[in-house]
Amino acid sequence: MSALQTSDLTAVAAPRPVAVQMTKVDKYYGKFKALSGIDLTVRKGEKIVICGPSGSGKSTLIRTINRLEPHDGGTIVVNGITLDGSPTSVQDVRLECGMVFQQFNLFPHLTILENCMLAPRLTRKLSKEQAEAVATKYLERVHIGAQAHKFPSQLSGGQQQRVAIARALCMEPPIMLFDEPTSALDPEMIKEVLQVMEDLAEDGMTMICVTHEMGFARRVANRVVFMDQGEIVEEAGTDAFFETPKSDRLKNFLAQILH
Amino acid sequence: MSALPIDLALAWDSIPQMAEGLMTTVFLTVLVLTIGLPLSILVTLARMSKSPLLAVPAALFVVFFRGAPLLILLYLVYYGFGQIEALREGPLWVIFGSAFACAVIGLTLNHVAFMVDVVRGSLSAVPAGLIEASSALGLTPRETFTYIRLPLAMRYGLAAYQNEVVMFAKGTAVVSVITVVDLTAVANELFEETYDPFTPILTAAAFYWCFVNLIRLGFNALERHLNRHNVREATVKEPAPGAALPIDGAAPAAPVPPLRRMANFGRRTAPVKAPAPALSTATPKEHAV
Amino acid sequence: MELFSDQFNGYLWQMAQGAYVTLQLFAAGFSLALVIGVLVGIITLSKNIVIQAFWKVYSSIIMGVPSLLIIFLLYYGGSAMLSGIFGTDRSFDVTPFGAGVAALTIVYACYIAELVHGAVMNLPKGQFEACSALAIRPIAAWRHVILPQLTRLALPGLINIWMIVLKDTPLVSLAGLNDLVANAKIAAGATKEPFIFFIAASLFFIAFSALTLRLSARLETRFNRGIAEVKA
Ligand SMILES: Nc1ncnc2c1ncn2[C@@H]1O[C@H](COP(=O)(O)OP(=O)(O)OP(=O)(O)O)[C@@H](O)[C@H]1O
Ligand SMILES: [Mg+2]
Repeated sequence: MSALQTSDLTAVAAPRPVAVQMTKVDKYYGKFKALSGIDLTVRKGEKIVICGPSGSGKSTLIRTINRLEPHDGGTIVVNGITLDGSPTSVQDVRLECGMVFQQFNLFPHLTILENCMLAPRLTRKLSKEQAEAVATKYLERVHIGAQAHKFPSQLSGGQQQRVAIARALCMEPPIMLFDEPTSALDPEMIKEVLQVMEDLAEDGMTMICVTHEMGFARRVANRVVFMDQGEIVEEAGTDAFFETPKSDRLKNFLAQILH
Repeated sequence: MSALPIDLALAWDSIPQMAEGLMTTVFLTVLVLTIGLPLSILVTLARMSKSPLLAVPAALFVVFFRGAPLLILLYLVYYGFGQIEALREGPLWVIFGSAFACAVIGLTLNHVAFMVDVVRGSLSAVPAGLIEASSALGLTPRETFTYIRLPLAMRYGLAAYQNEVVMFAKGTAVVSVITVVDLTAVANELFEETYDPFTPILTAAAFYWCFVNLIRLGFNALERHLNRHNVREATVKEPAPGAALPIDGAAPAAPVPPLRRMANFGRRTAPVKAPAPALSTATPKEHAV
Repeated sequence: MELFSDQFNGYLWQMAQGAYVTLQLFAAGFSLALVIGVLVGIITLSKNIVIQAFWKVYSSIIMGVPSLLIIFLLYYGGSAMLSGIFGTDRSFDVTPFGAGVAALTIVYACYIAELVHGAVMNLPKGQFEACSALAIRPIAAWRHVILPQLTRLALPGLINIWMIVLKDTPLVSLAGLNDLVANAKIAAGATKEPFIFFIAASLFFIAFSALTLRLSARLETRFNRGIAEVKA
């Protein structure tokens, strides 16, 4: 088991258990094929960054993992649970995955603390005191404990996004999904959110992040996945991904995004 | 379990009579709308005036004629005028003695009271920046009002005006109680002749439905016409004052779906907004009398 | 006639009783419309084509026709409809009050349903998604997240409908209900003092509206917690 502790690993060598296994996943919106033949394996503790041009299916991919979008072909297995569409599998998978959205999606009528306590109380059946303890713990962790009794609208975007992360963490999920968590933020707030995510990564969380923050990808990711037109075009260890891109599409993309 | 016993022959035969009733309804509606619009603008200006001599009476006018049910207003006018000696003896009795005129007066008072909020809301929906810009260009306040604020307000207020017109048109059905022979009165007469509880009423209902939907179609066409040069602008137009607070404060990016027209049909304060407000903001305070 | 003579007081007393009838009609009509309207509004969120088509036609008819006609239809035709549904062997008495409550319910449930439907559609999709992602089950999500926000979103519209229903109640007097307006009319006719009695009746409606507006303003501030600060 000691191999699992090494932090410097690339995906290929890791003998860790699989957290998310996507095999030949297809997804249609009506006639439009948003995902085609997605194969992706994410192991426990890995940090994966997904990037690609707008409309390439990144959000769709990450949302099929916790079945915010049902997939139409192939299989998705999350921590041993096969997403077959049955209500129990959906519920179980959602307990395995925390998700952070681009738009934060905090509940505006609840305070920060209540936002964080709601799901643990409802789905983990924690008592009020337990839920409050958990919420406080994670709010401290994203450095926002002092604002616990404010409403979301009273916080800045960066603070709201950190609350959203804390809210997801309160369910203590083994896997975290991030869908462009910093895209709606002003530049000066991006850093504080990325910092929280990096701390999380250091603690060994399994993370799948859709993001255009290439600096973050270099610092944190084990592997980077490049998508275009619903397909995974290239997937490589972080260094190889940036230093020796193979496909022209990725080369173009990197040239644009790294100006 | 039997179907509604609708007597098709009776319905068919009643069409000419119904059409006549409908003409009365339409005429009444159009007449009151025509009188009402300039009056509402005047009363609104009085209501918004800084002088309490104008503002207070206008406010009281709105509170009373908007708060009292239309039926009572009609009774008040119809039975009340008859009690005023000077009026009954005077030469104007030709007018005030007729049920139709009473209906027009009662309906107008009510309609204008509601319109004050519509007009006021539309006027205040015009962004202050535009008004400043036009004064900066050297237009007088009066010119600014006539050429900038009023035309823009008409555009912003169109949805609210449509709601008011539709509710008003349906509301005219009460005038039958003061012996005006409108569509509802015709249906009632036929009911009393035939004792068929369904056919006359449902036929009249069909006529009303057509009338109301013609109004809707007309307004839609008008709206398209007014917005013809404005198609793209509509999506980025600055919101009305206090509008478009995205729900979670994620200001610029939060999707704010367009308001479904019927979501706040209210005769009675449909919110007046620049295009595409969120329902969350559809909280006109005007209804607070 | 003399103010506060016995006769005058008698009429006032009758109007007070009429006002009580009016309030009962209003309370029954509005609360039924509210309950049914909210349920129907939620049902119409269904993507089922049959439900959608039916709702479109039905609401267009109800909202395109004066409520007075619907009151008449239910009053005159109500017993025939009831025997049509429950069998002709029994006869049904339809009172003006019953017809009025039914008509107000039918009409304004429709408006409330549209309001609720619109309010749900205006909620950001992210609210539903966040609930799903947090594994909050649909019923709990509706109870703790969606409905509280709906209440806030729909409250102004609801107060609007409240006022409209209130001012529609006098129409039922035309079907013979002995309500405030009917009694005011009797008093006005008997005493030849239309102004006094009709204005008194109007003031009742105005006062009742003002009172509820005051209450609703308070409610609104309560529900607006969380977004109020931004406005300020
Ligand atoms: N609900 C939907 N219905 C129909 N088409 C959709 C839907 N959601 C996404 N699409 C389409 O699917 C494709 C992939 O969308 P997706 O949101 O996954 O892209 P993305 O890579 O996340 O883009 P972005 O960087 O803009 O977020 C796009 O072409 C989009 O238009
Ligand atoms: Mg996306």
